[in-house]
Amino acid sequence: MLTKKTIKSVKWYLIGIFILIGGIVNAQEKTITGLVTTNEDGMGLPGVNIVVKGTSNGTSTDFDGNYSIKVNNNSAVLVFSYVGYITKEISVESQSVINVILEVDASALDEVVVVGYGTTKKSDITGSVSSVKSEELTAFPVLSAEQALQGRAAGVAVQSNNGAEPGAPIAVKIRGNTSINASSAALLVVDGFVGGTMPQASDIESMEVLKDASATAIYGSRGANGVILVTTKKGKKGKMTVEINSSYASQSISKELDLLNADQFANYQQGINPGYVQGPANTNWQDLIYRSGNTANHQISFSGGTDTMNFYVSGNYFDQKGVVINSGFERFSFLSNIDAQITDKLKLGFNAFGSRSNKKGVSTQADTGGRGSGDVISIAYRFAPDLGILNDAGQNTSNSVGDDVDNPYAIATESIDETTTDNYRANFYADYELIEGLSFKTTFGFSTLNGTRGTFKPSTLVTTAGGVGGIAGVLSSKESDILSENYLTYNKEIGKGNLTLLAGYSYQKSKTERYSAGAQGFISNSVSYYNLAGGSTPLIPTSSLTETEIKSVFGRLNYDYDDKYLLTFTARRDGSSNFAKNEKYAFFPSGALGWKISNEDFLKDNTSISNLKLRASYGVTGNQAIQPYQSLASFRSIYAVVGDKTVSAIVPNQLSNPDLKWESSYQTNVGLDFGLLKNRISLTLDYYNIDTKDVILGDTSVPEYVGFLNQTTLKNIGEINNKGFEITLTTRNISNDNFTWTTDFNWSRNRNKVVSLINGDDIFLDAAPGHFLQDQTHILREGEAVGLFYGYEYMGVNQGGTLPAGTASFTNTPGEELFADLDGNGTITTADRKIIGDPNQDWTAGLNNTFRYKDFDLGVFFQAAYGGDIFSFTALELASGGSNASTEALRAWTPTNTDTNVPSAAVRGKRITSRFVYDGSYVRLKNLALGYTVPTNIAEKMGMDKIRLSISGQNLLTFTDYPGTDPEVSYKASGNQNSNVNQGFDYGNYPNIKSVTFSINLKF
Amino acid sequence: MKKLKYFLFLILTIPFVACSDLQEEPIGLLSPEGFFKSPQDVQTAVNGAYGNMATEAFWGRKLSLPLMLRSDMVSIGDVGTASRRIDHDRFTVAADNGMITAFWPKSYQIIAGANEAIAGAESLGLSDEAINPTVAQAYFVRAYTYFHLVRLFGGIPYLDAPVDNIDEANKISKTPEAEVYAKIIADLEFAKQWLPDTQPTRALPSKASAAGYLASVYLTMGNFQKAYDEAKYVITNEGKFDLALVADFQDLFDATKQQGQKESLFSIDFNGFSDGDTGRDYQAALTGIRANERTDGRSDIGEGWSVAVPTIEVYNTWDGRDYRKRVSLDTIGVFGGVVQPFSYFPTASPLNKATAYIAKYDRFIGITSQGNGRGSETNYSQMRYAEVLLIAAEALNEITPGTTEADGYVNRVRARARNRAGVMTNFPADVASGMSQDDFRTMVLEERKWELAFEFKRWYDIKRRQLGPQVFGPSGLENQPNFDPSRDYLLPLPSDELQRNPNLMPNNSGY
Repeated sequence: MLTKKTIKSVKWYLIGIFILIGGIVNAQEKTITGLVTTNEDGMGLPGVNIVVKGTSNGTSTDFDGNYSIKVNNNSAVLVFSYVGYITKEISVESQSVINVILEVDASALDEVVVVGYGTTKKSDITGSVSSVKSEELTAFPVLSAEQALQGRAAGVAVQSNNGAEPGAPIAVKIRGNTSINASSAALLVVDGFVGGTMPQASDIESMEVLKDASATAIYGSRGANGVILVTTKKGKKGKMTVEINSSYASQSISKELDLLNADQFANYQQGINPGYVQGPANTNWQDLIYRSGNTANHQISFSGGTDTMNFYVSGNYFDQKGVVINSGFERFSFLSNIDAQITDKLKLGFNAFGSRSNKKGVSTQADTGGRGSGDVISIAYRFAPDLGILNDAGQNTSNSVGDDVDNPYAIATESIDETTTDNYRANFYADYELIEGLSFKTTFGFSTLNGTRGTFKPSTLVTTAGGVGGIAGVLSSKESDILSENYLTYNKEIGKGNLTLLAGYSYQKSKTERYSAGAQGFISNSVSYYNLAGGSTPLIPTSSLTETEIKSVFGRLNYDYDDKYLLTFTARRDGSSNFAKNEKYAFFPSGALGWKISNEDFLKDNTSISNLKLRASYGVTGNQAIQPYQSLASFRSIYAVVGDKTVSAIVPNQLSNPDLKWESSYQTNVGLDFGLLKNRISLTLDYYNIDTKDVILGDTSVPEYVGFLNQTTLKNIGEINNKGFEITLTTRNISNDNFTWTTDFNWSRNRNKVVSLINGDDIFLDAAPGHFLQDQTHILREGEAVGLFYGYEYMGVNQGGTLPAGTASFTNTPGEELFADLDGNGTITTADRKIIGDPNQDWTAGLNNTFRYKDFDLGVFFQAAYGGDIFSFTALELASGGSNASTEALRAWTPTNTDTNVPSAAVRGKRITSRFVYDGSYVRLKNLALGYTVPTNIAEKMGMDKIRLSISGQNLLTFTDYPGTDPEVSYKASGNQNSNVNQGFDYGNYPNIKSVTFSINLKF
Repeated sequence: MKKLKYFLFLILTIPFVACSDLQEEPIGLLSPEGFFKSPQDVQTAVNGAYGNMATEAFWGRKLSLPLMLRSDMVSIGDVGTASRRIDHDRFTVAADNGMITAFWPKSYQIIAGANEAIAGAESLGLSDEAINPTVAQAYFVRAYTYFHLVRLFGGIPYLDAPVDNIDEANKISKTPEAEVYAKIIADLEFAKQWLPDTQPTRALPSKASAAGYLASVYLTMGNFQKAYDEAKYVITNEGKFDLALVADFQDLFDATKQQGQKESLFSIDFNGFSDGDTGRDYQAALTGIRANERTDGRSDIGEGWSVAVPTIEVYNTWDGRDYRKRVSLDTIGVFGGVVQPFSYFPTASPLNKATAYIAKYDRFIGITSQGNGRGSETNYSQMRYAEVLLIAAEALNEITPGTTEADGYVNRVRARARNRAGVMTNFPADVASGMSQDDFRTMVLEERKWELAFEFKRWYDIKRRQLGPQVFGPSGLENQPNFDPSRDYLLPLPSDELQRNPNLMPNNSGY
């Protein structure tokens, strides 16, 4: 931590710099001082902008609402403005003290909202846009700001790809699955940089979620999944502010599975194999691999500005000790935003972001779990509890049943998996007012993302790397991105109308290089992955390069007539190198209408209805959906051995695909904004329909005997539909001097449906861990939702004798699993499978209540999801006989215990059956936070503007019937083929956590 | 002037971008256009076909495992293993069987590589002498692969040129079995004409490989005269072709000794390295004993998976004096540091069976890159000289029964089997001369059974001699009541392939 002394000296140092850069404010003749308060509570209002009308001379109020500004003469007019309040103009005349009361803007909608390539008044929006406020993002500490979005905005689904793993990627989906092969992840635009990295939550001023085509079409081919616009904080005019945020959280796993202990396990195994000899120990492997974790997050920011210059600089340190032993994540990052008004027409800005992160990983969510593979979580479940960490010979134990994997403690503590990632982004802009109302903006940005991952499995992991003397590998990747955008904005009032035009050009180029190397056979386990040459056997190295380019022209027209009728047209034409020769370019238009009914004469004077606006939009957005080079004919070099020597070899890889093009989403959105009682109640309703056409599918109509390695020719052939309904309701229930209570509620429902597939044929997909040896786990079928579980319907236990009608077993023996015999032929075959579960949630909701009493505030945030099924590969594995079992095994069928739905103890194939499909509905107390703000007078005595302390708890309560560790699960949901439609699978997830967090926030 | 300064500044920031044409220029990916420039490029394409053979989806396990499981000598150990495997053992295969849907496309990828090489060779416009010895490998590879397919499926789609028109390719019908055989023979004849007498390694086909495969093809077709002629041609020229029987039968299955051996006519090589798909075999894992800790003679690869396991009848009916039994079967394992007989195997793991396990791929497998013996150094001989001798004997017996020449071929094989790691024994004895045609036929098939045990030949023998009802009957090695001779000699074509191209319908009978 920085000491106060160093903070102070840094403060003066920075002030010095910015005074030098910013130039010196001219001396003035008269100083006006005063206090700005609100008509609501009479309290001072901080941050109010005060400008001398017609000049660039301005200031803002301090934390108590006081200000001081110099004016040239008595005829000057001061303009007081603040978001959410009605702007006030006051002539100075002879006054030297001017106290101002600002009135809350009745509509409270004239908040400025960031939209693509510009800003607009919230009340003028015709599309569907959700704004998430900075306070919501920082309500509790999160590793990444995406997490803070969860439950905050209707229609936005946030899912960690791996539980609470430190550094796990977070997927944000807006309005459902709009694609099959391509990602459904929303596009992230940070300070105008398309495809940027999410900054720290505490550095974010605002986050806008663009949901419909009217809002996203300006991003054309990348807009189909919705867009998240992030704007980072900027300095405000006035004295420099230093803000320190520190938090510390203590974390523990939310739930362990209930498994057999050593005696129960031995008994269970002896039921399968009478010769099983009980091992010497009694180990709870879950206890061994879990610990209490913690998170520390420290941030310091400096911000301020002069008339011509403002700056915001922050540094952040985040450190997480994961709840699984040996896992952790550490990150340093900084952000710097500087804007300078060079002349009254030219404005320049520079935005820089940098971060370094170190991730210490343990293996989780393994793709396959045979010998040499497997993750510590799933192995902790399945490993024999009657073994200890070491055997009599002092070696790490390996499993005594099923695949002989190493024990999870050994894997977690002895294997090394470290990733260092450096991310830098610099973005420069210049904004020049060419003539009145017409300005030109150019931005140029560059970002790099360099990562190195090193792995080492020592020979002491007997079954993983013992036979080969340890395995080490290094994987390095280097991504760079250049973005250049240039656009003109024109604004003109024509009579009662207001016209805004935007036209621009954009070019982006991305380049990714990767290489990897590895070796095995190390004399010593001490060299880790830093001495590949020390391995006796080098492994096959790889390298690759991919480059993509996108160039675009875009434009937008906004017309607002009489503040009643709104019209928006947007269009973008994108060209992408990824696409086939004949389909490089595509055009994405959208249009929207808005009608502010409450501004019509018949409602204008209505006292109860303060806002009523109807919106409708229609448009087309796109999804690139393919990887570079996927449309080109190619040979591919493969590994080949002739005479035990490696030789160069190529195989026919794929045919050229000159007509491969973009996926297009045809989106309709109808929305209603409704405000009552001076917007104490505000309600937003949205209905949408998204038809995604030309969905890229692997064309299975190309026969495999054609003989290409890449068997699936991609074709624009499918269609998916998503429709849904969203409700956002905000009520200010109580608002008086000492007590306020506000409620934010959002609810959304999305229905997706596969409309058409190639020839109407089902597409079967497989997400099972490799060692399950499955071919099919879920299905895409016309007329059904995306990614339904597909398998046998479990009908209980075979009790012998005459089986119930319509049921059969694989082997007709009492105690076996009984399944629905769909074709009625008396045996169970693959023809007896059907849809057995739907992972798509019926609805999700978030409910946040904020209470403020004097200096205390309390936030209670619930999140809920209803109706999504989960298929648990974990439960399936634990019931397969070749592993430890859940305590369900104690109820297994035996000739003397027949009244049960748990089949007899036996080794069985890992089949996909409805027995392992569970309801994943849940209600979760996501956050409970109690804060105390030290009264200003006390804080001031301590030299502070603000001191706030808070304690909060995350995931404290979860109500669910799901028997696994956590209903918010995912498996193979990123980086895999079909990731986008692998939903609701549970295997080897890093566990979710409960945490208790202490935070302190200082401002001076 | 002052404003101009700012304008210049702005112009500088509008970068160098406007002229991109969005054409992709992949570096590191190979474009088919203009790839073939020299015979070396043709070799590179043929090498790709060899690489495709050494994949998980073909010889790694997806083809090799069903070939074992469908025979009467190998059954399922771990009953919890994938049903796509069990279905081959029990003859309950459906048209969407996951083994078939994996090796079907891979087989055609091998063929497509050969077709590219052949087309590429033609495009070079070189003299026959300059290019044919290289491109003849591609003809051999194509014949080798179609020979597997025609035996497994009967009539199949037959392609002998790279596909550039998908719509046309999508409409072709099955080429009837007899026609496929004719095309295989034509390819092998070309290969026999142009391949060199010997190659630097047995992983490359030579004249002998082509002739040996012709013998096998004719034997399968029942054209015994030609089968004999081709086998005889190989035997007569064994010196020129550098062929011989390896002295110690065990050495054939010792991965560290296979290179340089003179017995193989064509092999699929593995060297322990893999890119994750090509270069990885699974026989050691699939045939190994669960929980086995044995480390002698190999590195510590850990347990096997007990998937492909002989029935106890294989152990019981195989004469214990036969050295080949000892080489082919493992009867002991090490568990908890103690050597145990196979009766203990199920106690060590319930996934095991109390029977002798296949040892040919599990005992001396060299360096491995993965546990369980996945990724061994084993070279899988696709045809050994011993088989050529037995083909000659079998075919000659059909043409002229009771010759000493036919006896002699079998005796050569038996003589080698008597070499028990350097110690000569008297078992198996030479064949009794003057056997009847039927007895000799039975004898030579039995000889093939033991000599070539678990070498992926037995199923094809059962099929070509229509032995199913006998060997899968109650008195056979493996009683499989599901076996249906009207259905099971052929596999179903993958159902999705039939959906794509309905001209391939109907599927084989019974599916």
